[in-house]
Amino acid sequence: MLAKKLVALTICILTITGCSIKSDSAIQAAESNSETEITVFAAASLTQTFTEISKQFGVENPDIKVTISFAGSATLAEQIKQGAPADVFASASQSAMSSVVKEIPNPKTFASNRVVIAYPAANPKNIMASLDLNKTDLVWIQCDHQVPCGAAADKALAVDGVTAQPKSLEPDVNSVLAKLLTGEVDAAIVYLTDVFANANLRSLEFSNKESAATSYSIGTSDAASAAAQAFVAYVLSQSSQQILISAGFDAPSS
Amino acid sequence: MRHQVKRAQTSSKLNPGLALLALVGFFVIALPVLALLTRVPWSSFFEIAMSESVLLALEVSVVTSIISAVISVLLGVPLAWYLARGPQTKTRWIRPIVIAPLVMPPTVSGIALLTLMGRNGMFGKYIYETTGYSMPFTTTAVIVTGVFVGMPFLVLVLESAFRQTPIELEEAAATLGAPPTRVFWRIALPLAKSGLIAGAVLAWARALGEFGATLMFAGSLPGVTRTMPMAVYSAMESDQGSAFVVSAILLAVAIVVVFFLRSNLIKTFSR
Repeated sequence: MLAKKLVALTICILTITGCSIKSDSAIQAAESNSETEITVFAAASLTQTFTEISKQFGVENPDIKVTISFAGSATLAEQIKQGAPADVFASASQSAMSSVVKEIPNPKTFASNRVVIAYPAANPKNIMASLDLNKTDLVWIQCDHQVPCGAAADKALAVDGVTAQPKSLEPDVNSVLAKLLTGEVDAAIVYLTDVFANANLRSLEFSNKESAATSYSIGTSDAASAAAQAFVAYVLSQSSQQILISAGFDAPSS
Repeated sequence: MRHQVKRAQTSSKLNPGLALLALVGFFVIALPVLALLTRVPWSSFFEIAMSESVLLALEVSVVTSIISAVISVLLGVPLAWYLARGPQTKTRWIRPIVIAPLVMPPTVSGIALLTLMGRNGMFGKYIYETTGYSMPFTTTAVIVTGVFVGMPFLVLVLESAFRQTPIELEEAAATLGAPPTRVFWRIALPLAKSGLIAGAVLAWARALGEFGATLMFAGSLPGVTRTMPMAVYSAMESDQGSAFVVSAILLAVAIVVVFFLRSNLIKTFSR
C-alpha cells in the first residue's frame, strides 16, 4: 500500500519537474528571443573541420549556440536511433546515414574523403607500397569493419592484395590516429584529411582511389529548428566547402 | 544478532521523505538493467552465445581476467600485509599510490601503461630496442591492464581485513616463538580469509569489466585482445543481438559476484 503511494508520488514529482523545466525554457525563449541551441552529431573524422566551421558559423549567427558531439558515425547513428537529441547529423558513410533514414530523412552529400596508408614522416620502416603491409615485421592497424574508415580500408586493402591482418581493429579513426602518433604502430589506415592535419605524417594512396573513398552526408532531424537548417546550409555553403577542401576533403563525388 | 534485529525495526520507520529518495535511488539503478534485459534476444540466446565472435571474446576475457586475478593475489597479498602492519611513516605514502587506479578514469590508466610499456615508453622503448618485443596489442597487455586496475581492489579490501584481526593474536604467536613467516601463514592470512576471497573476486570482476584502459593499451583484435566489453561496443554498431547477449552474460556474472561478495564482505567488516 505504502509502496503504491510512493510510486504514484514519484511519478507526480517527476512529471511536475518535467513540465516546469519545459515551460521555463519556453518562457525564456519567448522573452529574450535569443540563444537558440542546436546539437550536431558529427563523424570523428570531421573533428577539426566542423570545429572550424561552427566557429565561423557562430560569428555569422551569434544568437545560435552550436554544440558538437564527435564519435564514430555508427555509434552516433545508434545513439540517434535510441533517441539522442541530435538536430543535425553529419555522417562519414552512406550506410550509417541510411540506417537513420527515419530520424534524418533528407541527407545531402557535402564532401568525400578517402583512406590512405599513413606512416611517420621519417619512414623508419621504409614503406613504399601498399603491399609492404604484408611484411611480418610491420605493425599496422585500422578501424573496425563496421566503422566507415574500416569499411573503406577493407575494400581498398582487398583490391591491393593485402592479406596480412591488422594488429587491432579500433572503434574510430581518432583512436587509430592516436596509436600512430604515439609511435605504437608503424603504419595505420586513416583518412587523407588526418594526414593533412598532422605535419609529421606522410601517406601512401591505395591503387584504387574509388574503393578507398567514402562520402560524407549531412541532414537535420524531422523536428529540427530553423537554426539547425541554417547550420546545414552553412556546411553546404562556399566558405565551408573552402575549409573542407583545405583540410584535404574532396568535393562530393556524385 | 540482537543489534541487527534492532536495526531492522528502525528501518521500517524510515521517514517518507527518505523512503521516497531511496525508492528513486533504487529505480535509477534498476530501470536501466531491466531495460537491458528487455532487449536481449532470448529465443536465439544460445545460438548467438555460441557464435564465433562471442566465444572468442569470452575466451579472451575469461583467460586474461583469471590470470590477472591470480597475479593480483600473488603480488597484492604481500602488499596489503605490508600496508596493514608496516611502518606508518612509509605506508602513508605508499597506500594512496596503490589505491589510485581504483578512482582513476580508465583512459588515464591506459595512457599510464602506454607511457611505461609502450614501444616509445619508459621501459618499453628499451625492451623494444634490445629484444624487438613490444607489449601493446598482445594478450599480455590485456592481463597487465587487468592487474593494474584490479589489484587495488584486492589490496584495499585485504588490508582492512588484516587490520580487523586482533594484532594480539599475532603478538602472542610471536612471543611463543613463531617466526614472522609462520605468523603470517598460520594466523594472519587464515583470519583474513574472507577478505582475501572478497578482494580476489573484486579484482577479477574489475579486470573482466575493464574497457577503456584495455582498448588504449592493448587494442581490440578478435581472439587476441578483444574482450567481452569491447565486443559489446563493437557489436553495438553492427550486430546488436550479440551486443545484448554478451551484455546479459556480463550482467549475470555481476549479479553472481555480488551475491557471493555479500557474505564475504559482511564477514570481513562485521567483526
